Amino acid sequence: MEPFVQNLILGLLLGGVYALVASGLTLIFGVMRVINIAHGAFLILGGFVSYAVWTWLGFDPLLCVIATTPVLFAVGWVVYRVVVSPIRTAPMSSTVLLTFGLALVLEAFMGYVWGNNSTAVRPSYADESYRIGDLFLPKAQVYGGLIAIVVLVGLHLLLTQTWIGRAIRAAASNPTGAQLVGITISSIAALVFAIGIATAGAGGAIAAILYPFVPGSHYQWIARLLAIIVLGGMGSMGGAVLGAVMFGLAEAMTAAYISPAWATAVPYAIVFAVLLVRPQGLLGSKLRDDAVAQ
Amino acid sequence: MSPLPRPGRRTRGSVTLLAATALALSAPACGIGGGDDDSGDSSGPITIGTSLPLTGEFSQPGQAAKEGYEVWQEMINAEGGLLGRQVELTIKDDASNQNTIVADYNALISQDNVDLLLGTFSSLLNLPASSVAEKNQMLYVEPAGGSPEMFTRDYQYLFFTQQAPVDRQGDVFAEWITSLPENERPKTAAYPTLDDPFAIPTSEGIEEILSANGVETVYRETYAIDTKNFDTIANEIKAADPDLVVQGAIFEDGIGLVRAMLKSGFAPDWLYQSTAPSLGEQYAEGVGAQNTEGVMFAISHAPEADTPGNAEFVAKYKEMFGGLPPEDAADAFASGQVLQAAVEGVGSIDDQAALADWLRDNEVETILGPLSWDETGSPEGEFLIGQWQDGKVEYVLPEESATTDHIVMGWQPGDAS
Repeated sequence: MEPFVQNLILGLLLGGVYALVASGLTLIFGVMRVINIAHGAFLILGGFVSYAVWTWLGFDPLLCVIATTPVLFAVGWVVYRVVVSPIRTAPMSSTVLLTFGLALVLEAFMGYVWGNNSTAVRPSYADESYRIGDLFLPKAQVYGGLIAIVVLVGLHLLLTQTWIGRAIRAAASNPTGAQLVGITISSIAALVFAIGIATAGAGGAIAAILYPFVPGSHYQWIARLLAIIVLGGMGSMGGAVLGAVMFGLAEAMTAAYISPAWATAVPYAIVFAVLLVRPQGLLGSKLRDDAVAQ
Repeated sequence: MSPLPRPGRRTRGSVTLLAATALALSAPACGIGGGDDDSGDSSGPITIGTSLPLTGEFSQPGQAAKEGYEVWQEMINAEGGLLGRQVELTIKDDASNQNTIVADYNALISQDNVDLLLGTFSSLLNLPASSVAEKNQMLYVEPAGGSPEMFTRDYQYLFFTQQAPVDRQGDVFAEWITSLPENERPKTAAYPTLDDPFAIPTSEGIEEILSANGVETVYRETYAIDTKNFDTIANEIKAADPDLVVQGAIFEDGIGLVRAMLKSGFAPDWLYQSTAPSLGEQYAEGVGAQNTEGVMFAISHAPEADTPGNAEFVAKYKEMFGGLPPEDAADAFASGQVLQAAVEGVGSIDDQAALADWLRDNEVETILGPLSWDETGSPEGEFLIGQWQDGKVEYVLPEESATTDHIVMGWQPGDAS
């Protein structure tokens, strides 16, 4: 029983980090219908910003979240205004290509600035764990999971308890109606994109402590993140959290009870199986268009 | 927690688009440098083409290999060039991608019209790249593709420029372990290994020797190349409680497993990893210098080695890039030396088959020591065994090549609890 509980804990902690990063991706899709292929690259950029703050200023890498989040928010805002905004209403395939190109540009930029060598952020507690009997809880994962919860709850409160949140939801559900009541859609879109990228920045600061990374590591992340938001239901925040936790658990349990060789494949098989039964994802809505297509 | 309204467009269409996007995510080539179409000009520079993983999973050793090639180019040009002609390198970036590297080598041969080829990094990439070279009947001297699969295809133009193929890389270590007194010898071993044509034979070769000598295997699993999280794997290894962990690793996975074992509170008596510990400061930074003590690994090159040209290579590397050259830079440099020896031995670059025949018939002095090959292009020597001691690498085996007569008896991580 004990190894199972240990693996369960490790899977949940992994899922918590996935949830933080996936939330921004699904938020951007939910409001803007933009599949941001560059999201993983922004995550790695957050990792490098955290690394820079840690090495130059000596801040604790977890506190670097305070730096990476606003920095990536600003980057997201500028990127939206300069790059994404001109084609926001274009077909979705255009935004996919655009953000894929953006990912390549970001990778090249990071390689130019920080080099293509592997980078590791190792505070003193990076390889330490809390012990409960024979169980261990890696400190960095625990702190990362707690930060993920704080950020996700903050995001939830922002969307449900504030005027800006209501404006975001109005813009997502009925852009024309939102405009009629005085909401500037382009400003809301820029804000949402920036918030989404800011969550990638927060996630990047945490991921940098957990795993070494290179500029090209974003490919591994974006593949997982896309699978997570599809599993949870694209555009659904709750779905992203649920999908992330399921993904993390599936990776951990597969590595423990099937084989580590299948640990990165089985979660995708689960996504495939879920989509066969629920094409809209776990918490996604079945839409009118889907019904018509049946 | 689902405050957002549902998307107003077709979810199914989006999913389809995502699937297409996932397929499109294979990284494209990003060529750097540019070859001149001057192969017919016998007085112009000799163009040599290669494609390296400068980005992506293998970017760490790929960058080092690029440096090694560039040092060789700089030194040979300073000495008057190859056959009296300057050497010009055309280096592409395969982004650690098997599809891209095939396109790159085809482009080097048919579009850039390079005169000669040099190989790439890792067996994973050298397998397809060497097929392109063989199909085009071009000599393919490569620094880092020692998987047994490389040498079972009866290729005529392939030569691997390290001391031994990877399944024999750990022979010296395994034989030394089995020679230890009974009370010091590990009784059980675990073999977590990257699913990679280099890493698997490395750990299998060691397991074969250890198993034959009574060291019981209590864990053997492969993990996928995109594995980021090693906590569960470390937990399973901890449950198996081996005396020795032999990891077939490349780099980040080597870092990841050490850190995960430390987090789990488990430190085996002995730790051997392929490749990762040979990457010097990058490894120490990744796992923490205090956790490197006693880690053992096979290595092809020692900066202190008294081999022909080694001191000059190390000095030139320091001048160009600073610091000591990593192993992969030295291996790439040795590939350049082997190519140079073949060209100078034949006296021409016109007949690639003659170059290959020359290498099969001759031994070449390199900074790694003398290299020779069998009919398949597989080298016939043996590796050095390195060990981290007091924050730096020492070469401990075989005794005649050792830089110290002291071997730290086991892994002694400072953070393990």
